[in-house]
Amino acid sequence: MFKRVFFHGLVAGVLAAIAAIIYNRIYFFATEADFSKILNIPSMIGLSLVICMIATFVNYGLVKWLRQKGEIVFNFLFSIISFACVMFPISISLPLDIKMPELFPGLAVPMVFFPVIAWLTIKPLFQAKEH
Amino acid sequence: MKKFIYPFAALALMIASAFTVIKSQDWKIADNYSIKFDGGDPAGEFKGLKGTVSFDPAALATSKFDVSVDVASINTGNGMKNTHAKSDAWFDATKYPTISFTSTAITKTPTGYLATGSFTMHGVTKPIAIPFTFANNTFTGSFEVNRMDYNIAAGEPNHGAQKFKVDVNVPVTK
Repeated sequence: MFKRVFFHGLVAGVLAAIAAIIYNRIYFFATEADFSKILNIPSMIGLSLVICMIATFVNYGLVKWLRQKGEIVFNFLFSIISFACVMFPISISLPLDIKMPELFPGLAVPMVFFPVIAWLTIKPLFQAKEH
Repeated sequence: MKKFIYPFAALALMIASAFTVIKSQDWKIADNYSIKFDGGDPAGEFKGLKGTVSFDPAALATSKFDVSVDVASINTGNGMKNTHAKSDAWFDATKYPTISFTSTAITKTPTGYLATGSFTMHGVTKPIAIPFTFANNTFTGSFEVNRMDYNIAAGEPNHGAQKFKVDVNVPVTK
C-alpha cells in the first residue's frame, strides 16, 4: 500500500514542480520581477517534492489509523494547511537587494496550492489501481 | 577719501579670498550608499539620498551636511509592510515626502567626528547628534531614533519597535 501512496506523492510532487516552474516563467515575463534568489528551479523542485513526500507519510498514517475516514481527514488537512501557508509568502521579509518585494506574494501564493492541487488531481488514477 | 578706495578693495578681496581658501571640500554622494534601519521588526533601508555634503577634516567649522532621503523609497523587504510604512498610519509619505538632516556644527571626537544639527521626520524637527567616521572617502555613522519623538504611529506604541538603530554608510567622490 505504501508503494502506491509513495508514487502518488512522487508524481504529485513532480507535477507541482512543473506547474511552479511554468508559473514562475510566466510571472517573470509579465512583471520582470526577479525573485530567483528565493525561488529558483532547484528550490521549487525541492519544495514541491518535500511537501508531497510529507503528504505521503501523513496520508499513509491517517489511512492506516482511521481507515476510510483517513482520506477525508487527509484531504481536509492538506487543503487547510495549504490555505494557512498563504500567510508565509505574504509575511516574509525578503533580502533588501531584491526589488519590488510587493510582487512576491503574487508569485508565491498560488504556488502554495500547487502540491495539493496536483495531489487531488491525480488521486483517481492511484485509487483506480487499488480496486 | 579716494586714496582709501583701492586699499579697501584690496583688503576686501583678500578677506573674500581667504574664505575661498578655508571653504570645505564638497563631495558627491556615490550610488552605492546604504541607509539601513533596524528595530528588530521591522528593519529595512531608505534610498533617494540627496543633498550637499561639504566636509573637510581640516576645516570643520565650515563643514556642513544638508541631506535628505525619500520616504517613499522605504524597503523592508515586504510589500505589505512597505505600503503600511508609507501610509498615513506611519510616515505619511504623501504629506511628509522626505526625512532630512541639516548639521549646525561638526566637531572632532576621540573616535571620529560628531555632527550636531536638526533632524526632520514626519513634520517634526528635533536636535540630534550623529557620531561618524570618515575614511577612504566614506562616511560611516550610527545613531538611534525613537519614532514616538516624531509622532509616528504614536497612538500605537506597541505596534512594532519604537527605537530604531540607523546605520549610515555613504561613499563619496570629489
